[in-house]
Amino acid sequence: MKLKEMNEALQGLREKYAVQADGVLVACAAGSWGAAAELEINGKRCKLLPWRVERRFIELKKLVDGKTLEDVSTLRFASMVSGGGVEKLLYRELDLCAFLGEAQVRSIFAVMNGATANLVVKLADGKSCSVECSAALPAGTLPMDRHEIIARRGVACDRTVDTQVPQASIYEFTATGEKRFTDTDTELFGFETDEILLIRAAFAMLSNPSIAEEWNAVDALLARQVADALATEKNGKPVIY
Amino acid sequence: MKPVKIAMMALTHGHTRKYYQTLRENSKLDWVASCAADQRAKEVYELYDTGVPCYLSAEEMFEKHPDIEAVVIASANDQHLKEMRLCAERGVHILSMKIPTFDPAEYDEMIQMVDKAGIVCQIELEMHYNPVVKRLQQLIASGEIGKILSVQATNITLSPVWAFPWQGSPEASYGKRVPLRAGDARFRGGALCDHPHIFDLIRWLTGSDFDYVYSEVAPNLRPDIEVEDMILVNGKMKNGVAFLFDPSWSRMEERLAVPAPGWEVFPKRMEVNVTITGEKGTIVCDCFGPNVYHNGAPNDRYTVQYTYFDEWIGLIDEFVTCIREHKTPKINLKWHRQTIDCMNACYASVQSGLPAKV
Repeated sequence: MKLKEMNEALQGLREKYAVQADGVLVACAAGSWGAAAELEINGKRCKLLPWRVERRFIELKKLVDGKTLEDVSTLRFASMVSGGGVEKLLYRELDLCAFLGEAQVRSIFAVMNGATANLVVKLADGKSCSVECSAALPAGTLPMDRHEIIARRGVACDRTVDTQVPQASIYEFTATGEKRFTDTDTELFGFETDEILLIRAAFAMLSNPSIAEEWNAVDALLARQVADALATEKNGKPVIY
Repeated sequence: MKPVKIAMMALTHGHTRKYYQTLRENSKLDWVASCAADQRAKEVYELYDTGVPCYLSAEEMFEKHPDIEAVVIASANDQHLKEMRLCAERGVHILSMKIPTFDPAEYDEMIQMVDKAGIVCQIELEMHYNPVVKRLQQLIASGEIGKILSVQATNITLSPVWAFPWQGSPEASYGKRVPLRAGDARFRGGALCDHPHIFDLIRWLTGSDFDYVYSEVAPNLRPDIEVEDMILVNGKMKNGVAFLFDPSWSRMEERLAVPAPGWEVFPKRMEVNVTITGEKGTIVCDCFGPNVYHNGAPNDRYTVQYTYFDEWIGLIDEFVTCIREHKTPKINLKWHRQTIDCMNACYASVQSGLPAKV
C-alpha cells in the first residue's frame, strides 16, 4: 500500500473539489479485520468502509433504491481470496448484507471448515443472505467475488450471466501467458483497486465528515458480528440479535 | 486557479446531460448559464433541475453573462460553424462536439477562426480519458505485444434518432443531403457520423494516419430512417496496420423522446471493444466493461447498468488546464481533421463501391 502517494492523491481530490476537511490515511494495525487503512482527522482515527464507495456496489444499491428491483427477497454473496483468514471476508460481506439489503443483521449461522465459511444470514426485515467465503485459493490466484440481489421483480448482479469468474476490461495474451487489467478510475489511474477504494472512502468521509461516526459504529458492530459468526460454528446454533 | 466561467449551448446533442454533474462538481468551473436551441431542448434541460439559468438565444445569454469564458457547444452538427463564430467573435473558448463539421471548407474556416481569435477549441472525443483506453495505450507502448499488425474495433450503439432527431436528418447530421449511392434511398448522416471514436483511437494507438478505407452499408435495421444505420469499414493505415471497424447502430432501442431507463432493447446499449494483434501478442479490450447487470424495471429485460463512466471528468480537466495555461488540447481541430477526412472517405467508398484513399 503506497500510503504517501495515496495521501497525495487524496489532497489532490480535496483541492480539485474544494473540500475543506482534511485528514491523513494511516495503516491499520496488523490483524485488523476491517479495511487496510483508516483516516486520521484531527488526531482521531476513523474506520473506513471502502466497499461502500465501490462503484459496482453503489450501482447495485441504486437499483434497489431506485426501484429497478422491487421487493428484494434474497442476497447471494461469495468472496474467495488466497491466504489470510476468512474474518476479513466476513467483515466486508456482512457489511454489504446490511448495506445492500438495507436492514440490520438479525441472525447468523456459520459452518466452517479450514479457511472456508458458509453463512446463512437473516436481516431484520426478513431478507435472507447466503455468504460463501474462502481464503483457500491457491497462492497467486486473483480474488473472486459475486454479489447477487434477487427480488420479486428482477435480479441484479455484479457478474454477468453465464460466467463464474470476474471479467476484466483487458486481456493480454503473450508468450509469457495471460494478463488481465481492469481500470475504473481516471482520476486515480495507476493505483491498485484496493488503494483507489481507500482513497475514495477517505475522500467521501472528508466530503461528508458526519459519516465518520456512523462508520466507526458500523465497525464496532461488524467486529462483534464476525466474532459471533465464528462462534456459531462452535455453539451449533445461530446468533440472534 | 480561478474557476472558468462556463456555459452550455444548444443542449440538443446526445452528450449534453453527461456534462451536468462535472460542470456542477468541478471546483475549477463556474457553470453560469445555458442556452437551448428550442423550447423542447429547454424543457428537457429543466427536467434535470441544474439550477443554472437557461435562455433561448445565445446572444441573450452572452448579453446577460458577459463574463462567460468558455462554452460547451452541444448542438446538431450543422449548427457548429455558426455557434463557433459566435464564440470566436467574443474570444470565448470552445468545447466542440465530436463532429465539428463534415464540410472541408467549413472545417478550414473553423481552424482559421480559432487561430485568429487565439482561443482554445477542444474536440469532445471522450475515449481519450477512459481509464481502460489509457491502460491499453500503456500496454501497446510497453512493447509487450510487439509491432501492431491489426486492429479491430466496434463502436456500436443503439440509435439516438428518436431522442435527438437531428441525428436522423442528413442535413443536420452530415450538413447536406448526399445519397449514399446510386439507387439507394438513404443519405449520409447516420451511424457513421455518430461514431468517430474508433477512427480517432487507431490514429493515436498506432501513431499513424489512414491510407485507404473500404466501406459497405447493409440494409437498415430501422427502415423508416433516412440515414444509414449499419455500416462496416476496413482499410489500412500508412504504416501497414490493417483494420476492421463496425461503427453501426446495431443495438435496437425503445423509441423514447428523452433517454431514460429502459431505452435499450439489447442488454448493452453502447460498446467500444478493441482487439489489437501484434507480432508478439494480442490484446482484447472492452472499454465499457465489466459492469453491473439486472433484469428489473421498467421492462424486465436483461440490462447492463453502466458502472464506470467518467470520461467527462478528464475531458473537462484538460479543457480547463488548456484555457488557464494557454495550452493546445490533444484533440484539437487540426489533429481531428484526418479523422473527419477518413469518415468522408468511408462515404466515398460506399458511393463508389471501391476503396477510397484518405
